[in-house]
Amino acid sequence: MLEKLRHINPYPLAVIFLISSVGFVLLFSAGGSSLMPWALKQFIRFVVGMAILLAVANIDIRFYFRVAYIFYVVTFLLLILVELMGFVGMGAQRWIDLYIIQIQPSELMKVALVLALARYFHELDSAKVSRLKNLILPVLMMALPALLVIRQPDLGTALVLLTVGACLLFLAGLSLWYFIAAGVGAVSSIPILWNFLHEYQKQRVLIFFDPGRDPLGTGYHITQSKIAMGSGGFFGRGYGQGTQAALNFLPEKQTDFIFTMFCEEYGFVGAIGLISLYVVLIMYGVRVAMLASSTFSRLVAWGITFSFFIYMFVNMSMVIGLLPVVGVPLPLVSYGGTAMLTLLMGFGLLFCVDLHRNVKLPQKVIGLF
Amino acid sequence: MAEQTFIHRSLFLVGFILVTILIIIGRLYYLQIYEGQHFRSLAEGNRIALQPNLSLRGEVFDRNGVALAQNKSTFRITLMKEKGTDINQALENLEPYIYISAEEKENILKRSRKRQGLEPLTIKDHLTWEEVSLVEMNLEDLPGLSIEVGHMRTYPKDELVAHLLGYVSAPSEKEQEADPVLTIPGIAVGKVGIEKQLDKDLRGIPGHKQLEVNAGRRIVRELSDFPARSGKPLTLTIDLRLQEYAVERLAEHESGSAIVMDVNNGEVLAFVSHPSFDPNLFVDGISHHNWRELMDNVYVPLTNKAVSGTYPPASTLKVLSVLGALESGIVNEDTTFFCPGYMYIGSHKFHCWRKHGHGAVNARKAIVESCDVYFYEVAKKMGYESLKQVYEEFGLASKQLWQYPHERSGLVSSEALKRKKTGHKWTVTDTILSIIGQGYMLATPIQLAVVAARLGSGKMIEPQLIRTKENPTFPSMNVDPHALQVVRDAMSAAVNSPQGTAFRFRLKEGAFAGKTGTSQVRRITMEERARNLARGTHLDWKYREHGLFIGYYPAENPKYAISIVLEHAGGGSKAAMAARDIITKIQELEKEDAGETETH
Repeated sequence: MLEKLRHINPYPLAVIFLISSVGFVLLFSAGGSSLMPWALKQFIRFVVGMAILLAVANIDIRFYFRVAYIFYVVTFLLLILVELMGFVGMGAQRWIDLYIIQIQPSELMKVALVLALARYFHELDSAKVSRLKNLILPVLMMALPALLVIRQPDLGTALVLLTVGACLLFLAGLSLWYFIAAGVGAVSSIPILWNFLHEYQKQRVLIFFDPGRDPLGTGYHITQSKIAMGSGGFFGRGYGQGTQAALNFLPEKQTDFIFTMFCEEYGFVGAIGLISLYVVLIMYGVRVAMLASSTFSRLVAWGITFSFFIYMFVNMSMVIGLLPVVGVPLPLVSYGGTAMLTLLMGFGLLFCVDLHRNVKLPQKVIGLF
Repeated sequence: MAEQTFIHRSLFLVGFILVTILIIIGRLYYLQIYEGQHFRSLAEGNRIALQPNLSLRGEVFDRNGVALAQNKSTFRITLMKEKGTDINQALENLEPYIYISAEEKENILKRSRKRQGLEPLTIKDHLTWEEVSLVEMNLEDLPGLSIEVGHMRTYPKDELVAHLLGYVSAPSEKEQEADPVLTIPGIAVGKVGIEKQLDKDLRGIPGHKQLEVNAGRRIVRELSDFPARSGKPLTLTIDLRLQEYAVERLAEHESGSAIVMDVNNGEVLAFVSHPSFDPNLFVDGISHHNWRELMDNVYVPLTNKAVSGTYPPASTLKVLSVLGALESGIVNEDTTFFCPGYMYIGSHKFHCWRKHGHGAVNARKAIVESCDVYFYEVAKKMGYESLKQVYEEFGLASKQLWQYPHERSGLVSSEALKRKKTGHKWTVTDTILSIIGQGYMLATPIQLAVVAARLGSGKMIEPQLIRTKENPTFPSMNVDPHALQVVRDAMSAAVNSPQGTAFRFRLKEGAFAGKTGTSQVRRITMEERARNLARGTHLDWKYREHGLFIGYYPAENPKYAISIVLEHAGGGSKAAMAARDIITKIQELEKEDAGETETH
C-alpha cells in the first residue's frame, strides 16, 4: 500500500526537515534554551505533519481531482462557521475548536482554493479561458473566501488567497489584458478599499510608510525588528546571543518575527543559507509542475509552490520593512499549529503530483466525484 | 491549455520569484552589513540603561572643626514607572496615608510626562517619620511605590555664615545645559558663595550603574557599577566664635560688613555681611513668600556686601595717599602745610572736615587728624599717576578672591576712566577728590581688609578662605620701608594719641592701629555746612554717610587686619567702635586659646 512512497524524492524532504530544524533551534533559543514552551510542541506538530504529508502523497492524484470541489465547499462552510461561532483568539476570529485540535479554516482554504481552481481550469477548454463568462466562477471562488478572511480580520491570508489565485489564472493562460485591467482597477480602488480596513490595519500601512510616526506603538515592532536584524551583522551574534530577542524588545519573536530573531543570531550568512534552502524547495516545486502531464497536476504543483513562496516573501519583506506588517508566518519555521500542518499537507500534494506525474486525468467528470 | 503559454508563464514566474528574493537579499545586505554597526549600537542603547548614583556633597567646617554645611538624610516616596503603570492610580492608592494637594498632583503629572530613563518618579520628598512608617507598613497596598533615602544639604549655623558659604539648590536649565552632570535628578548645585566657587570639589563625582534591561524596562542584571565619589570636605579659615561675635556686633547697625584677616597668612577669620539670611530656605526651593520678604528688605540681605558692596574709601585711603606722597619724594615726613579749614583751587572753595582748620599739618598729623587741606596741597604739587600705582598695589580695583561669585573689583579713578564717564579732561580737582577717597573711587570691604593687612605686614597678602596644609607665604611689598613706618606710626597714633580721630575707641589694654573714614553718599549743601549738619544725622537713613574703618592689631607686630563698613551709619567713628569691640573679642579668644594650651 505504501509502495509508491519508495519512489518519493528524498532530497526535498531533507530540505523540508532542514528548514523546520531551523525553526526548532530558534524556538529552543527563544524559550531560553528550553524545549518549553515552543520547541517540543513544534517538533510534535512537525512529526504529525510529516505523517500527513506522506499519507497525502501516497493517495492517488485522481482522488484529489475528484474531491477538489467538495473539499473547497466544506472548507468554505467552515469559514462561515468561524464567522458565526468562532471564538476570539489573538484578537481575531480564526479558530474552530474541535476539542482535540483547533482548526484554522483559512489555512485549509489555501489548499482547497488551489485544488478547486486547478480542477476548474483542467476541465475548461484552454481556448476558452479568456472568455469573460468562464471567469465568473473562479473569481468568485477566490473572492468569497478572501472577503470572509478579511472580515476575521486576517489581511495576510486574504492576500495570499488572492495572489495564489491570480497566479493560477496567469498560468492557466488568461489573457494578459485582464491582469492589466485588474492592476489598474486595484490601484484606482485603493481609496475605497482603505475605508474598509480596520483602524489597526490602516495604522500598520501608514506606519510602514513612516515608521517614525509612532515609535512606541505600532511602529515599535518594525523599528525593533530592523535594529535586531541589523545588529546581527555578517556572522550574527551566535546562538542565544541576540539581545533584542532575548530581552523581549522583539515582539512575536516566535511567530511572525522569527526571521528577525534568526538574522540577529546568525547574521547575513545565516539569512543567505536559509533563503537558499527556500529557493531549493521552490525550484523543486517548479520542476514538479513542469514535469507533470496534466493541467490539474501542473496547477496544483504551482499553486502549492507559489503560496509557499508568497508566505516566505511576505513574511521576510514585512520584518525587513519592505511591506507593511500583515501577520504572515515564515513557512515551516514560525511557531504555529495549523500553518505547519497545512504547509506539510500542501507539500504532500506536491509530492503526490511528483509521484503521479504520468497519470492522465479525464477531461470531464460527471457529477461531483 | 497551450503548452507554450504554460512554459513561458512558468519561466516568467520563476524569474519574478528570483528577482524578489534578490531584492530581499539586497535589503538584508543593507540592514546587516551596510547599516549593521549603526543598528548594533541602537541595540546596545536599547538594552543598557544608566542608573545614576548621586555623590555625597563634601561637608564644610570652620577652622576649629565646627560643621557649617552637612548632609542630612531625607525620605521620599518614589514611583517606579514601567509600562502600564498608572500614576493616577498610584496617587489614589496613596491618598489614605499621605496628603498630596491638587497643585502637587498637577506638578507630579507634569514631571512624569517630561521624564525619561529609569529614574523613579518622586511623588513626595521630605517625609516625616510618621509618614515614612505609615507608607512602609502599607507598602503591599501601594504597588510600584517605595521609600527611598536621599540626602539634603543643611546649614546648621543658619544665617551665621550664609554669605561666605552660600547655598545649594536645584540646578537651573541654563546650568544643566552647561554641565550635563546636573541633569541627574535630585542633584544640587552651589548657587553662591563657597558652595558655588568650589562646587566641583564639593560635589564629588556621581557614579552610575550600567543595567541590562528588558523591553519592559525591568532590570535583568547589573553590567557594571561605577560608585559615586564623595565630594571633598572643606575646612574654612573662619573662626566661628569670632564670626558669631562679629555678626552679633554688626546687628547693632542696620547694614554693613566686617572682615577680620590674619595679617601674616591672609586667612580670613571673620567674614560678615549684615543683615543675613537663612541658607536652608533655598535648598529645597524657596517659597514665594520667603523670597518676596528677602527681596523687599531695604537692607538687601541677599547681597554679599563683603565682596560686592562698593563704597568710596574716603579718609581710609589717606594712609595710602600719604605713603604715595612720601615715596614720590615731593614731600617728606617733616613737610608741613597750613590748614585754615579750607582751600581755594581756582574759584572753587574746598573745605576741610574741621571748619576752623588744623593749623600746621605734617604727614603724621594728616593721618592722625585726617586733615583734608594737607591732601589738597599735596594734590596741587604732585601728579596723580604714581598715587594710582600705590592704590592698585594695595589691591584696589582688582578682585581679591579666586573665582568667588559676585565679587566686584571696585574702581580707582584714572584719566581714562574720567574721560570714559564724562568725556572731560583730568584736572587737579580730580586729584583732590581721588586722594581723599572720593570721586571715582570705590572699594569693597574685602579690598579694604587687604589694604589693612598689607599695611600691617608689609607683604603682598592675599585673602584665603580655605585652610590648606601649607601655610601660604607672600612676598614683601615694593614700598619704601621708612615711608611705611611713618604711616604705621600715624595709624597707631590715630587710635592711641589724644588727637587721633579714633582715640575714644582705643583699647583698655594693648593697642591697635587704624584709620577711620566717612564717605559721603550725597553732596553736602552749603546750607547744611553752615548749620554744621554735615554729618547728616538729620537725614533719612539712606542719605546718611557710610562709616568705614581699616586697621590692624596689635599696633606693633600686627597679627590681625580688620575692615569695617557700616552703611549709612553716619560716620567713621561708629566703625572704629565696632572694630574695637571685635578686637576685644579677639583678645578674649586669644586668652581662651592660650589657657587651653596651658591646661593641656
